[in-house]
Amino acid sequence: MDDRQVSMLLQQADRARADHQWSHAIDLLRRALSLDPDHPRAHASLALALLGAQRLHGATIEAGMALAFDGNDSFCHYAAAAVKMAERKLGDAWEHCLVALQADSTDVDAHVLGARIQKMQGQPAAARELLHRALELQPSHVDALTALARVELDTGQLAEAARVIDTALTTEPGNVDAHVIAGFIALRQGDVAAAETHGRFALTQDAVDRDALALWSAIKARKSWSLGLWWRMNAFVSMRTEAGQLALLVGSFVAISLLEILAGAFDLDALERLLSWAWLGFCAYTWVAPSIFRRMLEADLKSVVLDREF
Amino acid sequence: MTYTIPDEPTKTRWGHLVVRPSGPLLAAMLCGSWMAWPWFVWNAIAMGSPTRRKEIAMCGVAIAGTVAMAFLFVYLWDRDIIDSTTGVRLFALGVATWKLGMAYAIETVQSRTFHVYEYYGGAVQSHYRVITVGYFVGYILLAGITDPFWVIIIAGGL
Repeated sequence: MDDRQVSMLLQQADRARADHQWSHAIDLLRRALSLDPDHPRAHASLALALLGAQRLHGATIEAGMALAFDGNDSFCHYAAAAVKMAERKLGDAWEHCLVALQADSTDVDAHVLGARIQKMQGQPAAARELLHRALELQPSHVDALTALARVELDTGQLAEAARVIDTALTTEPGNVDAHVIAGFIALRQGDVAAAETHGRFALTQDAVDRDALALWSAIKARKSWSLGLWWRMNAFVSMRTEAGQLALLVGSFVAISLLEILAGAFDLDALERLLSWAWLGFCAYTWVAPSIFRRMLEADLKSVVLDREF
Repeated sequence: MTYTIPDEPTKTRWGHLVVRPSGPLLAAMLCGSWMAWPWFVWNAIAMGSPTRRKEIAMCGVAIAGTVAMAFLFVYLWDRDIIDSTTGVRLFALGVATWKLGMAYAIETVQSRTFHVYEYYGGAVQSHYRVITVGYFVGYILLAGITDPFWVIIIAGGL
């Protein structure tokens, strides 16, 4: 009875994950694990759901548990690869992905993930090859089409990227990732209005999607130079890893303090005061920036209620 | 029994005293380390953070590092190795960087749990009144201390 219930919950969670309903997926998987705490695939699926909800720490632990319960399961390796990729440990991610691919050479999702890892490693040709193989296996796989469009976009093949993303959106009109890529393509083609439509839709579906926020920042940057600078700076900071943000903030503090000390040593009092005030202003700005960022986004998306996960 | 996801906090009876981790971080800047490190520890315990041991250990490292730096300063000062205002300011910058870096790092770790805690409806108190009081207490404390060793240990990051 429990086995059947767990399988049913896992299937429901898969559908919820596919629709970016992270909280719902997490709740379903919690129920599944309450029935069977040692179920490797439930842990792996939970790792992917937590990853979607930007809970990387929890995802890392769950992916590790999945592998501990079954180190040979291809789906557990797939989840581990996704988590490692999010941690920017690309070598480890590729190793797990290879295990998943070797265990099941017809696993389209593993091909797509492998392609994403290859692209991040600066290997667009290898990424393209994996995606073509994925599309041979399943020609209408939307994630594969979206990832291929991204590779084509990043390598400057704009017409091909547009053709591929059209196919993706025809296959699944509500796919968030496809709308984000379509937005970036439209922006590159100079069609800001179309990009805005895609970006707005993506954010209404998943307000914590980093790529959707990056697209929105790029749209803002295109519309106004000054506002664009502000959005780009936010995107620049928020796209860093936690360690990167820490290094950026502490590094800025050290740099400006050193300048202040040097100005003091050379009796440049006015410059020292200016630097001191500039730093104070920057601190105040970074303190209030997140709430300004949220308010501006809410104003932009008037008809949309951002979900609690934002 | 309901499965507990490893990054989720456990319920404690001090949940009503939890503040945003940015509170102790702000205290590290404005009030002083005397307030920031214990507050981080308390917040981790009150929140029922699954990473509280790590957070407490990080506070311990922060304190140990600051004490080591204070000893080093006294040693260098007594031997006239640091003998100029610029030298003192550079050393103070090193101490402030250490304190701020550690405070940011602890805040980052604690925030992971805090977001989950808040998402599931955990109570959150405003930290501004505590910081206002802490600022004045810190000011009085520092005004009464002349020993540089204790100034280094107690002072804030800014």
